Amino acid sequence: MLPDGSIQVRDLWKRFRADRQQRSFRDQFANLGRHRSEADRWRWVLQDIDLTLEPGDAVGLIGANGSGKSTLLKILTGVMYPYAGSLEVAGRVGALLEVRAGLHGDLSGRENIFLYGGLLGLSRAEVARRFDDIVEFSVLEDAIDRQVKFYSSGMQMRLGFSVAAFLEPNVLLVDEALAVGDAFFQQRCLDRMRDLLHQGTTLVLVSHDLAAVESVCTRGVWLKDGEVESDGDVRTALGHYRTWLDDAYHAWIDETSGEAVYRPGVIEVSKSEVGRVGGGFPRSQEAMVIDLVLESPTTIEGSLCLGITEGTASPIFIVSEDVTLSPGRNMLQCTIPHVPLAAGRYYLWLEFDGSRDDELHIPWQPTTAFGVEGRPLSRSPIGVMRVAAVQVDAEWHVGEQPEPA
Amino acid sequence: MTEPIESPAAEKRKAPAPSQRFKRRATLLKAPAEIWRARMLVRALAERELRALYKQAVLGVAWSVLTPVALMLVFTIFFQRVATIDTHGVPYSLFVYIGLIAWNFFSASLSTGGMSLVNQMHLVNKLKCPREVFPLAYMFVAAFNTVIAGLVLLVLFAVNGFAPKITSPVAILPLIVQLAFTLGVTLIVASVTVYLRDLRHALPILLQLGLLATPIAYGLDQIPENLQPLYSAVNPLGPVIDSYRATILYGTMPNWSLLGIGAVSSFVFLIAGIKLFRRLELGFADVA
Repeated sequence: MLPDGSIQVRDLWKRFRADRQQRSFRDQFANLGRHRSEADRWRWVLQDIDLTLEPGDAVGLIGANGSGKSTLLKILTGVMYPYAGSLEVAGRVGALLEVRAGLHGDLSGRENIFLYGGLLGLSRAEVARRFDDIVEFSVLEDAIDRQVKFYSSGMQMRLGFSVAAFLEPNVLLVDEALAVGDAFFQQRCLDRMRDLLHQGTTLVLVSHDLAAVESVCTRGVWLKDGEVESDGDVRTALGHYRTWLDDAYHAWIDETSGEAVYRPGVIEVSKSEVGRVGGGFPRSQEAMVIDLVLESPTTIEGSLCLGITEGTASPIFIVSEDVTLSPGRNMLQCTIPHVPLAAGRYYLWLEFDGSRDDELHIPWQPTTAFGVEGRPLSRSPIGVMRVAAVQVDAEWHVGEQPEPA
Repeated sequence: MTEPIESPAAEKRKAPAPSQRFKRRATLLKAPAEIWRARMLVRALAERELRALYKQAVLGVAWSVLTPVALMLVFTIFFQRVATIDTHGVPYSLFVYIGLIAWNFFSASLSTGGMSLVNQMHLVNKLKCPREVFPLAYMFVAAFNTVIAGLVLLVLFAVNGFAPKITSPVAILPLIVQLAFTLGVTLIVASVTVYLRDLRHALPILLQLGLLATPIAYGLDQIPENLQPLYSAVNPLGPVIDSYRATILYGTMPNWSLLGIGAVSSFVFLIAGIKLFRRLELGFADVA
């Protein structure tokens, strides 16, 4: 017997029917003559998964859509069964699988709390003792006696999470559902998860919000096509996953040449390079130079906006300049004396809009990727979910405050 | 751009060995405890069904009474006038109504309990609970309706000036047999329907046939004597209904040998139902 809160998964396999059609008599007859191979009919969603969690572990399960995260979580919850392998989840399991998971729409919030507690093996008195905490945390004082089917999805999620997180689970499994809540509640959920972790609860969090995963979990497991691709320290696993995401989703970078693939516009970007003044890769807090060549058909007045991002369209910082392009190739160079970026991988985005006709000659788009060497990002506050990859120089003086005279 | 990450899974096998197939550890002994913990869910499901039945329908409670009463009238008029059935001196309406409420419980359990998983899929694939609670809840609803319909029996006794016999309490024995049989068959139908949705359409037809193939409008003695043991094994409801009539209407003991065959058969159905359900349950959430 494993201690409460342990999870042990050995050689776990799970498959689904490749044809998700319902099996009616007609389909059966239609397929009677045809003999289809096993491989045609089934699709593996989890392949040979091994996972061992000790009580108090905090694991973030990450991966692209369809990689098997939710299926694995359903199996850990006990809602779904694996095809092969063994699995042991010791202790009470609180789970928030989907927004309404485990809630019965026809029952009131109050009845649902007792129902769920009963299913977890808690007595009525034990649930009653935690009832006020649940209601307070979910901020549902006014709605607790209303039928859950009349709740908004945010309210259902709040109740679902509160129930799962306050009925003293040994293992807490949380799927995507948190995304439904507002930012304030999400933050409280993350705080509650940290509390539970301190009390020795084991946590498995599935999320596409990598910042949230990073802020709560200490271990990361990246599932790719149903297999464990990376398992280890959360930053390492997230790093692997992010790199893969970059390659998969930033298809605008030509794989062979490493050059960006441009959307056609009036103005063509024929060169964009980011480097260190004097050559080499940019370094934190040193001078960085951006070289651009824009090919213009005519004389165009407008403003050029450059942005450095972590891959998404939201820049960490921008610089802009009014420029007049003459027909032909225009060389532009922008020097940033002190690059405030931490070591990592970044993207240069740009936009050129005409000052006269309000026309977007180059829409906001990425043109190149580059790496920055130097200092890594400072440790972020525990309560902070997302830290901009900015490294600022700071001077510190730490000492005793003299008593006021 | 970046070097591909070394994948430890690359050299792994592409299918599990048959010996690795997942086996459930839950035993038959653990199941009742699990279901007991889920009793609130059973109550919630049953309550909702009853509330919907009695609040939203105009005739409310009357519906659970109407079906057997209507059938009783039809049978009384046709079988009494057209084909005379020998009831050995018992008023025919009583004779047929006892059979009908027994059948109705079975039929209602099967048609609602049998569809319970398919109709509650949103809960089946999200809530961790012993899935037996779904058919069980509907059996409770059927039982509740049967008790209501049973009240009409009292009226029939009064109208016919006929009193239940002293042996009536013995009817508890065929009742146990009927519950076991009904639960077993309901579990089978519920779990198989998840995979074979056509059963939803086939079931009403099968139940219609069952209504005629079961000694409801007629007595078990209409079946040739040498076939009665075989019949009792295939359809335990035959000896069960016969025993209800014997104990309540005739004041005799049940035909023990036939009821015994029915009882053995019923418990075989029950064990088979529980085992099949547990086995098919492994895939419920996949099909949903």
